[in-house]
Amino acid sequence: MTPVFQRLLPFLVVAAVLVIWEAAAVSGLWSKLLFPSLGSIAYEFGVFLITPERLHEAWVSLYRALGGFALAAVVGILVGMLMGRSKLVAGLLDPLFSGTYAVPKLALFPIFIFVFGIGSLSKVALVFLECLYPIVIMSYHGARGVNRVLLWSAQNMGASRGETLRRVVIPATAPFIFAGFRVAAPVAMIVVVITEMVSSADGLGYLVTYSLSSLRTDRMLAVVVVIALIGYLLDKAVVLARDRLIYWEKLDTYYV
Amino acid sequence: MGVARAGFFLSLVLLWQLLWSRGLPAYVLSPLEIGRHFGEALGSAELYEHAWASLGRSLPGFAIGTFFGALLGLAAGMARWFDRLFSPVVFVTYPVPKIVMLPIFMLWFGIGDLSKVLIIALACFYPVFINAYYGVKATPAILVWSALNMGARRGTILRRVVLPSAAPMIFAGMRVSLALSFIVMFAAEMINARSGLGHLIRVAENSLRFDLMYVSLLAVGLLGYAGDRLVRFAQRRLLAWQEHAA
Repeated sequence: MTPVFQRLLPFLVVAAVLVIWEAAAVSGLWSKLLFPSLGSIAYEFGVFLITPERLHEAWVSLYRALGGFALAAVVGILVGMLMGRSKLVAGLLDPLFSGTYAVPKLALFPIFIFVFGIGSLSKVALVFLECLYPIVIMSYHGARGVNRVLLWSAQNMGASRGETLRRVVIPATAPFIFAGFRVAAPVAMIVVVITEMVSSADGLGYLVTYSLSSLRTDRMLAVVVVIALIGYLLDKAVVLARDRLIYWEKLDTYYV
Repeated sequence: MGVARAGFFLSLVLLWQLLWSRGLPAYVLSPLEIGRHFGEALGSAELYEHAWASLGRSLPGFAIGTFFGALLGLAAGMARWFDRLFSPVVFVTYPVPKIVMLPIFMLWFGIGDLSKVLIIALACFYPVFINAYYGVKATPAILVWSALNMGARRGTILRRVVLPSAAPMIFAGMRVSLALSFIVMFAAEMINARSGLGHLIRVAENSLRFDLMYVSLLAVGLLGYAGDRLVRFAQRRLLAWQEHAA
């Protein structure tokens, strides 16, 4: 296999899927509702990009996802690092986090609606809660695993607690924090879309259910493409930030 | 430590109970009341029916997704042509929220259980695939070389070297998948279902039955917790040879 051909291989899979889709759309075996043609989806996608109202829906979703994510990042790093550096805090909070890890926090959403209202706040709160777990767990994992020899050397050379934290603990934990971010970013988008599909009057998730109930599958698929694109770009943004900030360690986050 | 921990949780619950008796909004129930309602619900058939319906969606989805995730992940980790062909597609679509496919799946496979099982399987596929893939990649090459040197065939190497080395990672992926299967199951049921815990919580919400809301919340929490313990237990039993099976 030539290198060029190797690079093209994955596109072959995508192209095959698209061709099969288009064939299913053109064949007339199924209703247009089930397989709208690629052309009509592309058209709706184009309409999406130039219609301010639709772009506003995307902005609403993005702002909920990013808001919850940012809050979770601030609180999660703090809690995770505290847990990693203090046996007492870890002993108290670790059972709480590992015990409720597998519990779908989404189940709290109906209660959140009553507490925070049906607007953005309940959604941001749920995004915060779901994103908190991976970030806390990864920062805890990282802060706990700081090489002891490094800590001892820093103390030996007379570093104060603050200096040790800034120069040793934080750099050693940072790759793990980003690993947590990388898990949390898609989660943020998932939660926003779900909550908007369940109960909302705006946002991309709402647009999906609305397009479906008005039997515009092509429009719905165009929105799905937008959601997928945002999810992908968020992940790319996290990776880009990580590679810029953590120049001293090349860490594959899927691997931690 | 154990005493401090128990004291911490006990005082949290006590604080909740105390705050409640001082007057909290109607949608916050006290721990005692939640316990009482849950006990009552355990005595009736309704909760079991909904829990059963939920498990009937999440477990098959989890099983299908995990099976194909492990299978294709192992294949991509070992066969280079398949890696080149398939892995980029998986990694690019990984950060995309799979739940948005639910409406399309509902159109294709009907609004019954099939579309829900498949969407759960799709969501569960990714973590297991990625973990199996990296588990294989992380197999020390020297082990494979030694096995080759001693005349092991491909099948033997897969069974005796690669699989044991990738197994802990696959289990880690399964834990993530299990949590994910409950999230997606719950979401799918909240969006569209006539049974299941997600449906129950929506019914409770619409009729302002806060007791029922907490009951279904507690039930789904317990199921998630029990499933997680089960995966961890299986991991400890199956990977007993591994020193730090977390």
